[in-house]
Amino acid sequence: MKKAITILLGIGSVLLLTGIAYAFLVAPIAVDPNTGKEVFHQKILYFHVPVAETSLVSFILAAVFGALFLYKRERKYDFLSLAAVELGFMYGLLVEMTGMMWDKAAWGVWWQWEPRLTTYLILMLMYSGYFVMRSSIGEDSTKARFGAVYAIIAAVNVPLTFFAIRLIPSIHPILFDSSGAGLEGPLLVAFLVSMFGMTFFYVSLLLTRYQMFGVSEELDILKNQIGG
Amino acid sequence: MSGGRQIGAIVKKDIIAELRTKEMVVSMFLFVLLIMVAFHYGFGTTTDFSPFAGGLIWIAFLFTSLLGLNRSFVHEKDEGCLEGLLLSPVDRPNIFFGKMIGNFIFLTIVEIIAVPLYLVMLNLSIRGSVPMFILAIVLSNIGICVVGTLLSTISINTKMRDMLLPLIYLPISSPILICAVTSTNGIMGGVTGEKFAPVISAMKILAAYDIMFLLVAYALYDFVIGE
Repeated sequence: MKKAITILLGIGSVLLLTGIAYAFLVAPIAVDPNTGKEVFHQKILYFHVPVAETSLVSFILAAVFGALFLYKRERKYDFLSLAAVELGFMYGLLVEMTGMMWDKAAWGVWWQWEPRLTTYLILMLMYSGYFVMRSSIGEDSTKARFGAVYAIIAAVNVPLTFFAIRLIPSIHPILFDSSGAGLEGPLLVAFLVSMFGMTFFYVSLLLTRYQMFGVSEELDILKNQIGG
Repeated sequence: MSGGRQIGAIVKKDIIAELRTKEMVVSMFLFVLLIMVAFHYGFGTTTDFSPFAGGLIWIAFLFTSLLGLNRSFVHEKDEGCLEGLLLSPVDRPNIFFGKMIGNFIFLTIVEIIAVPLYLVMLNLSIRGSVPMFILAIVLSNIGICVVGTLLSTISINTKMRDMLLPLIYLPISSPILICAVTSTNGIMGGVTGEKFAPVISAMKILAAYDIMFLLVAYALYDFVIGE
């Protein structure tokens, strides 16, 4: 598995760097269709959107692994679910940070209560509860059980929060609507390359974290064998 | 015993316990009153609360519900009643539905007294349809009690106990807060025509929330309540 992780990490890093380099060096600066001005800060999109989508996928994976744990009762699914929540959370923090940078560049303020970033804020708070909950449980089996249940509850809540917040009008740019992608030509290439890069990168991180749990569990067993 | 009778027995037990002590409804009611006074001072010299009427009501109710939700399981756990319930031949999801209906009844009682009081004391009025207003409250209450009962069962089994509930309950219930505020604000403001569309969508999302979490709770309660 170690080899697979290295390969995935390699492919991911190369694609991600290529995507971002392409976005900065080759792709033209995007033009705002309303004002006709060039918007340099649009380039954060090649990082912001892949990160956001990966974090959502990660939370869904956490729920899927949680459900598998409840069904099969194998420790590995709990490890995978926890790793996915941790990574989803880290990616979510990155989304908030890059989103805030974009806010500052586009609107002149660090924080706007606009729907998407607010959804993410609520998501972050929701999954912070996950960690607090896990850390206040003593037994490992209960930890895993409640962790799985909570990951499922939280994932069910994500689309509902998404729709609820949309009741309030938004000023966030919509990238993909029903008419297709808002990016064309070289911009789309740069975006897709970084999107794939991010996915590979994510999978390698997930597997690494998963392995770490396995190793630390082995360590605990060994410690117990030699008497603590 | 059939499922319905099992649920009925648990609800009856909760109601009898509450009638003897009266601590849950009374403390929730006092809390709602205290929040109302806090709002008055918090907003300084404001006399017109109508633009954020829904917000005031739902912030008060959401925090009040926390009080009751915590109480409902602390009781069971401390007196060893939860073990008794688990040992009795009652299906686990029925324990959930029983507790949830109990919480729903207590919250509704508090709201039946508190809503008119809020209307009078904060000078608010319902300009739109009253049945719609009631429907919005009922839909939100179901959501609050379903998620609250599920999460308080989790929190009571951790070391932090009732400390944990607000941390996990408030973010998970945020769709309820948003939709409840949107719908009640619209109805109380008496909006019509195009502006009424968000009210309808909010109520639809509330209904979807209730149904989804009822199913989730039904499927997962077995794993939550302990083995």
